Amino acid sequence: MKADYDVIVVGAGPGGSFAAKAVAKGGASVLLIDRRKELGAPVRCGEGLGSHWLEELGLKVSPKAISAEISGSVLYSPNLKRAVKIQNPETKGYVIDRKVFDKDLAIDAGRSGAEVMVKTEVYDVVKKDGKPCGVKAYSMGEKLEATCRVLIAADGGESTVARMAGMNSTATLYDTDFAVEYEMVNVDCEDLIEIYFSKDAAPRGYVWVFPKGKDVANVGVGIGGLERGNAIDYLEKFIKNNKRFKDAQTVAIKGGLIPVGEPLKELVADGLMVVGTAAHQVDPIHGGGMALAMEAGGMAGEVAARCALEGKVDKQHLFEYEKIWRKKVEPKLMKRLRLRKVLEKLNDDDFNAIFENLNDDDLNKLIKGDYKPVVQKVLLKRPQLLKVLSALI
Amino acid sequence: MIKIDRSRCIYCGACVGVCPKLALILKETFIEYDEKKCINCGTCAKACPLKAIEFRK
Repeated sequence: MKADYDVIVVGAGPGGSFAAKAVAKGGASVLLIDRRKELGAPVRCGEGLGSHWLEELGLKVSPKAISAEISGSVLYSPNLKRAVKIQNPETKGYVIDRKVFDKDLAIDAGRSGAEVMVKTEVYDVVKKDGKPCGVKAYSMGEKLEATCRVLIAADGGESTVARMAGMNSTATLYDTDFAVEYEMVNVDCEDLIEIYFSKDAAPRGYVWVFPKGKDVANVGVGIGGLERGNAIDYLEKFIKNNKRFKDAQTVAIKGGLIPVGEPLKELVADGLMVVGTAAHQVDPIHGGGMALAMEAGGMAGEVAARCALEGKVDKQHLFEYEKIWRKKVEPKLMKRLRLRKVLEKLNDDDFNAIFENLNDDDLNKLIKGDYKPVVQKVLLKRPQLLKVLSALI
Repeated sequence: MIKIDRSRCIYCGACVGVCPKLALILKETFIEYDEKKCINCGTCAKACPLKAIEFRK
């Protein structure tokens, strides 16, 4: 390891590796650091990825990284009487194997010219005049220090690097869901993502079954941070009360936090950029963060390389990344956050009534952000929701 | 004051993300707890998806 880089990226998840690759391609020197000895592990993710992202991100996913191909989703009403299925070219996707996927992305970054260090834990951010300019890390029994022009924090939900650098990125219980997931065998599944809405089964969140094969699935639950109990209580209950899992064997336990509120108020500071789950760049409806992290990582890396090479790494110059992201990505997320806030206010009776009249076309509209016709349709059957649903039109 | 049950912890880092004082740090396969930084807010215990943190006032 050298002692100085244009850019240091902390966290070799999808966002960090994408950022490091973009920095290297931009002609700047970059060090990609990760705490873990094995990238992608421990997995803390449902592992779903929409196939449209491959083209949008210029991403190649190796066959080894794909556990199962998905044709669409099915959503269940709380009373389980209604299931709305949505299958079209846009709902295709993959359930991937993060252990393979994440490593592939780091390999890609390394091939592009990034230096990669695993089993290296950043324990402090070096500052000069209060501005981040490097990291201190433990690695294989040694204490290391490396300096940089730009520090990119891509360290996921813990988001400790941004906080050590002076930016408040602490997750709050209110704006965060907490999730646990079992990977199970002997679970019959189709090539569909299953989502179960119910205040009882998953208050302020949902239960999911993501198939990883014909008889293997990630079965998980996420709940709002302020709800009663812990996620594991709800997952155990869901599995116990469901005959489908009577022969199921758990072969992996995964979990983590999902920031489902607004993205951070600031994504950059002098010498600092924050990307991915560390920046709370997560879809507020389904809680997915991989694709958004890669997208933001690519944007940040490109800007970081340019700014570092020009020697202009103050907040104003790094803001270019934030400007692009807020223009291109944030409006979509904020629109979905509005939907989330409305869904949080509905009770199970409301959901049951809504599902009675909901079809796949309506669901498609909701996914695309075209809320008005669906709201109008729901209000005809359930006018008492006028006040709550009016936030969507 | 908290107690982390390592036999339940899957080192997912959820507690680290919500700790307002960085009193919890995710090492590779366990959570390191700095009692001196802890302000006894109990947020980590509430957050833990695995119910691996016991909070004692």
